[in-house]
Amino acid sequence: MTDLPVYELKRLFDAPCDLVWRTWTEPELVQRWYGPGVTSIVHKMDVRVGGEWLHEMQWGGNSNYQRADYTEVAQNEKLIWLHGNTDADWQVTANPMMPDWPRWLTTTVTFTPNGEKCDMVLTWVPHNASEAEIACFAAAMDQMGNGWGKGMEILAEVLQELKA
Amino acid sequence: MARFITDFTRVDGVWLLYNHKVMESMTTQNPTLDAVFGALADPTRRAILAQLSQGDASVNELAQPFAMSQPAVSKHLKVLENAGLVERAIDKQRRPARLKAAPMKEAVAWLEDFKQFWTGSFDQLDDLLTTLKQERKDD
Repeated sequence: MTDLPVYELKRLFDAPCDLVWRTWTEPELVQRWYGPGVTSIVHKMDVRVGGEWLHEMQWGGNSNYQRADYTEVAQNEKLIWLHGNTDADWQVTANPMMPDWPRWLTTTVTFTPNGEKCDMVLTWVPHNASEAEIACFAAAMDQMGNGWGKGMEILAEVLQELKA
Repeated sequence: MARFITDFTRVDGVWLLYNHKVMESMTTQNPTLDAVFGALADPTRRAILAQLSQGDASVNELAQPFAMSQPAVSKHLKVLENAGLVERAIDKQRRPARLKAAPMKEAVAWLEDFKQFWTGSFDQLDDLLTTLKQERKDD
């Protein structure tokens, strides 16, 4: 378990954790921020263990669907769910361009008070993934690194040189 | 049509790119990003790409700075070739390798968009929290 690749994103929000918690768990609030520049629609949001969140994003006549199946819910502190991209019937599907991208990612969000503010940490780990899925995710995360790793620097240089 | 697709990637992250890639794969025969990521995951192969960005090079020329055998370099080149990152001239004896940047740009765009989805969303969340805090004060 411990050698599974993990991707982590941290952010400090200038608001108390109970407020940040609401933005993840109340559909009308989720719709106002989740997905940049798209119309976000929460079809279902049942925040309890075994409950599901069914989400649609619309833009320019297109739709994308994703689902979350909650596995741990600790109010104002922690949310864990299995996350997958789906078809319009909420069935998890593979990505045609990245067939080995993990179908399920365990997504964990923690909310930790920091004075008047809230430290939020989001992590993704492949769930029930094949070796190929883990390798694909690891390679992508390796490229992404912590704020873009060494591999990315080299690539950025290469691309820069090609542009010149 | 092309501009339409470009807009998708600019606006959003992994999910919009998803559809962008679906459309693109219908019009071109690109290798999947899986192959690109697999090829880029190895430091030697990244170094080979960096060297090829300076100009075309034969297997022999590529082998020297890496202190590697020619078969070992050929093996790495094959992986890069299969990922569409490198092409080999077939009509010359030395078969110099040449960098093809398009798939790499796609891979970089994929990762940038993955990040962009979340940073863009969190920026929106920042704004929302400011509004909610104000409402709470007003109550």
